[in-house]
Amino acid sequence: MIMKSEQVVNIIEALLFVSEKPLSVTRFVSLLPEFKDKEIEAAIDRLGQIYDDRSLSIIKIAGGYQLATKPDYHQWVQRLFTARAKPRLSQAALETLSVIAYKQPVSRIEIEAIRGVNSDGVLGTLLERNLVSIRGRAETVGRPLLYGTTDEFLHYFGLNDLVELPRPEEIEAMLKKNEGEIQEDEADEKAETMTQDET
Amino acid sequence: MAYRVKLQNFEGPLDLLLFLIKKNEVDIYDIPIALVTRQYLEYIKMMQQLDLDVASEFILMAATLIRIKVRMLLPKPEIEEEIDDFDPRRELVERLLEYKKYKEVAYELSRLETRQRLHFYRPENEAQLTQFEVQETAYGQVSLFDLLAAFNESIKRFENEPVHKVIASALSVDDQIVFIEELLTGRNQISFSELLQHVHIFNRSVLVATFLALLELIHRGAVLVKQKSPFSEILLFNPTINN
Repeated sequence: MIMKSEQVVNIIEALLFVSEKPLSVTRFVSLLPEFKDKEIEAAIDRLGQIYDDRSLSIIKIAGGYQLATKPDYHQWVQRLFTARAKPRLSQAALETLSVIAYKQPVSRIEIEAIRGVNSDGVLGTLLERNLVSIRGRAETVGRPLLYGTTDEFLHYFGLNDLVELPRPEEIEAMLKKNEGEIQEDEADEKAETMTQDET
Repeated sequence: MAYRVKLQNFEGPLDLLLFLIKKNEVDIYDIPIALVTRQYLEYIKMMQQLDLDVASEFILMAATLIRIKVRMLLPKPEIEEEIDDFDPRRELVERLLEYKKYKEVAYELSRLETRQRLHFYRPENEAQLTQFEVQETAYGQVSLFDLLAAFNESIKRFENEPVHKVIASALSVDDQIVFIEELLTGRNQISFSELLQHVHIFNRSVLVATFLALLELIHRGAVLVKQKSPFSEILLFNPTINN
């Protein structure tokens, strides 16, 4: 007979294997009243260790746990899919998401005030991809729609919780650190274009 | 043609300004407005020569830059303390710094996106999804606004129907509260449209009474409303049945 602790590890593995969405500890607890909360938490940890040298890993994402293939196997798993991967998000989409993530619930007007450009189209794309949702209307003049990020947003960027996003002071630090790296590459690239064009 | 693609790299006027500040290696807190404005206008001219649609935002920023430049030519106020407040560039600098912050976060998100794209998860299968839907707790909150929108959608169906009979409605809001409670007795959930189906054989006022009854029940906490995603079907839950 299997020991109880081994049994719960296997049960959790089976549930994670079948689930298309992250499963939270709360969800496990409600699904498995036979086991104590602590046993379940320990089992999740144990399962994580078991997968250490396997091609799968248990990822803490969007407030729960989900099985995923490890990055090392990306190139092989990719061959399974005939359809092309979803396109990456545009710079406009990433910028808009950044504003929404920090300022939510936020109206289109506020987003546009920060970005300095019309953001109507990009908001439509983000709604379509379910990365943002409408949260209601502001109590201000014109009662504009308010937008917020979704669980799909967390999932898309591999975040467990919004608090994992860098805090304002960390952004300041990033600004200083990145000053020399990416921005320069980008600047060089654009500068090149401009000088070529000027000649 | 390669230029066309690259020139569009700028997300907007703020992005272009940040680039010019970077390129000229000048201090963002002390922007040489004359130089930056000249380069900015050159850039817009270039966009026009290449037949790119110059977005109105770029033109607006050009006007702002020129206005700042003009204001800087005006004599500064005499009193020392006012000098800080006087700098006509200040508002623009604040906008640039704010924008730069989000641009940085966008870069961070792009990095996360790259990392996350290396993981594969069990793909979501539409057919299976509906099967599991009821047990999933991943419903989003429904606002009153969503509910009203759904109600408007339903009531539209009655607009084109000619009304022949006028019947004094015997059903009050209280009657409909009882009706909804009975519908939800012994079951976990009912969809909003299903609820209206039950009353749609009656006239509009019964429909309204039913809607008011629903609002009352939500207010009392006797009904929970949730939905899976924006614009999807709104579901009413019986909170006494644990789901």
